[in-house]
Formats: sequence, structure tokens, C-alpha cells
Amino acid sequence: MNPHTPPDRQLLEIDLAAAEFRCGEIEGRWRHVATNWPHVLFAVSAPERPNAPGEFGFRFECSGYRQLAPTAQPWDLQSSRPLPAPHWPTGRSIVASVFRPKWKDGICLYLPCDRVAMEGHEQWRDQHPARLWQPTRGIVCYLEQIYELFNQSDYSGIVGT
Amino acid sequence: MSKLIVFVHVYGRPGLIEAELSNNATLAELQEVLRAAGAPVDPDMLVFVEADEHHHQGDSHRPIGGLRRGCHIHITRCRRIKTTINFQQHSAEHEFPPGVRVRAVKEWAVHQFKMAPQDAAEHVLQLCGSTERPASDTPLQQLAHGQRCSVCFDLVPEKRVEGCQ
Repeated sequence: MNPHTPPDRQLLEIDLAAAEFRCGEIEGRWRHVATNWPHVLFAVSAPERPNAPGEFGFRFECSGYRQLAPTAQPWDLQSSRPLPAPHWPTGRSIVASVFRPKWKDGICLYLPCDRVAMEGHEQWRDQHPARLWQPTRGIVCYLEQIYELFNQSDYSGIVGT
Repeated sequence: MSKLIVFVHVYGRPGLIEAELSNNATLAELQEVLRAAGAPVDPDMLVFVEADEHHHQGDSHRPIGGLRRGCHIHITRCRRIKTTINFQQHSAEHEFPPGVRVRAVKEWAVHQFKMAPQDAAEHVLQLCGSTERPASDTPLQQLAHGQRCSVCFDLVPEKRVEGCQ
């Protein structure tokens, strides 16, 4: 590792090489696409739904990793731009409560493990302890939650037009 | 000889170990690889591949069999994990092989409690006496801490994430 690499990036690179992350990659749950520090692109796989893709891209902003939680934005990996609202994933209840393209102009997911979403939501510490950021688990903590949301029957595909 | 990447869960040791084994690896090769990775194991331990019902033990020169890229190997003292699931006023119990994942346990519970698909989608397994909700890909062995070969779950409603916007 380059000695000039900042500590937060070093920690992320350690986590990308760890067995917990690699296991998810090999099992096809997620993949690391690219790093342009402090932004890191990942794709998370999703089960088949009508007119929906097999995976969704996310651009994570990882400054201060792991002590600070990252924040993640749905991302169009082909066009390198924020994912347009009609292409966001959705569902009947739980998934739609997390993927809200109109909230804060869609810059993050409405999840307690997201740094930006957590601002002003201190009550989430009591309401959703299982969804909080866990520095000891690192990036897998966030990716796992997205993957779990896609892989429950509540997920119905994309918002559409 | 071609090699496979596998993930090993060792009883009493947190986390996963990524290891490389030959296609027809024996228990002796597995033990050697783990020793080299700093995780020596007792040769009498039981070895399960994925969610298999049957374990490997003893003859260290027999191929383990059933290995594939990315598969999970469980090294454990537990032949089965006694699993209790509480749902409202009901409780159900079953003994699963150690490599069975939380997803399969929930499916079993949903069937056992005769839950409607919509209700099932809005419930998750939470470890009894905690707020921990293991991911659906978590093998049971990983949750059977200490000397126990048992796990207890509550099947609880999944809440929408809400707040003042």
C-alpha cells in the first residue's frame, strides 16, 4: 500500500480485501466497481423483477472511514451520473421507505447507517439499532443492508415513469 | 492441480477465513491450510460443507468432496444447531445442520407458523435478548456462540424507516 495513502482510504482497502467482503463478491451479492477517492462505486445485485436491472450502482462517499459512516447515492454506472428517479428501486413498504428519490434530491439512502441520512434522526438509534453504522464491520454493514432490502419479497422493481 | 477459494468458519473464532484448497482436498490439507493461516483446529472437530446434513471427520486422507468455488466450510463441535423461533405467543423448535443459513430458517418458520407471504415479507429474525438481526446469508454456526449448539430467534415485525422530513 502506498505510504501516502490517507488512513481512511487505507482502511477501506483493507476491508475490500477482507474475507467478509470477498465472500459477498464471490457469491455475487455485490462488487467493487472503482475508487476515485473519496468516492467508491459498488454494484449490488437484485433478484429478477419485471423491467428492473439485475444490479444497482451506488456511489459511496467514504471520507473519515471507518469512524464516520459513509453516505451512498444510487448511481448510473454506465453514464457516471446520479440514477434518475424512475430507475430507483422500490417496493410496497420497507424498500420504498429507504429509497426516496425526492428526499434531499436523492443524494443518499434513508437509512440509519448513512451519514447524511442520520443527521437530525437521533431517534433512529432507539428505533432501528440493527440498521446503525458499525465501524467494526465497515462497508459490509451498509452493502449487506442494501442487499437484504432487494432480497425480500417487498422489493418490486423500479419506480418507473 | 487447480485450486478453489473457500470460506472457512471455525468454531469459537469470529469472522471468516479465506483459504485456497485443491478440488479434491482432504481433511489433512484443510487442517494444514488453517494451521498456516494461524487457525489450527482440533482434528476431532466436525467438518460440514455448506448446509450439508452429513459431516466429515476422522480419516484425514479422504477427500472432503462437494467443494466448489466460494463454498463455506464449517468446522464445529455441533452436529446440529438446536434452533428456537418465537413468534407472538407461539414457539417452534428444529435442529438444523450448522451451515444452514438464516434465510432457510426463516422460510422454515414462515411455513411452520403458516404466515401469509405479505406478513412474512414484513418480519425478520432477531436474536433473542438482543437487537441483532443477522443477514439472511449468515450460517447458524456463526450465531451459536460459546459452548452452546443452540440459537434462539424472535420473529419480529420489520419497521419502515420513518422520521421527520
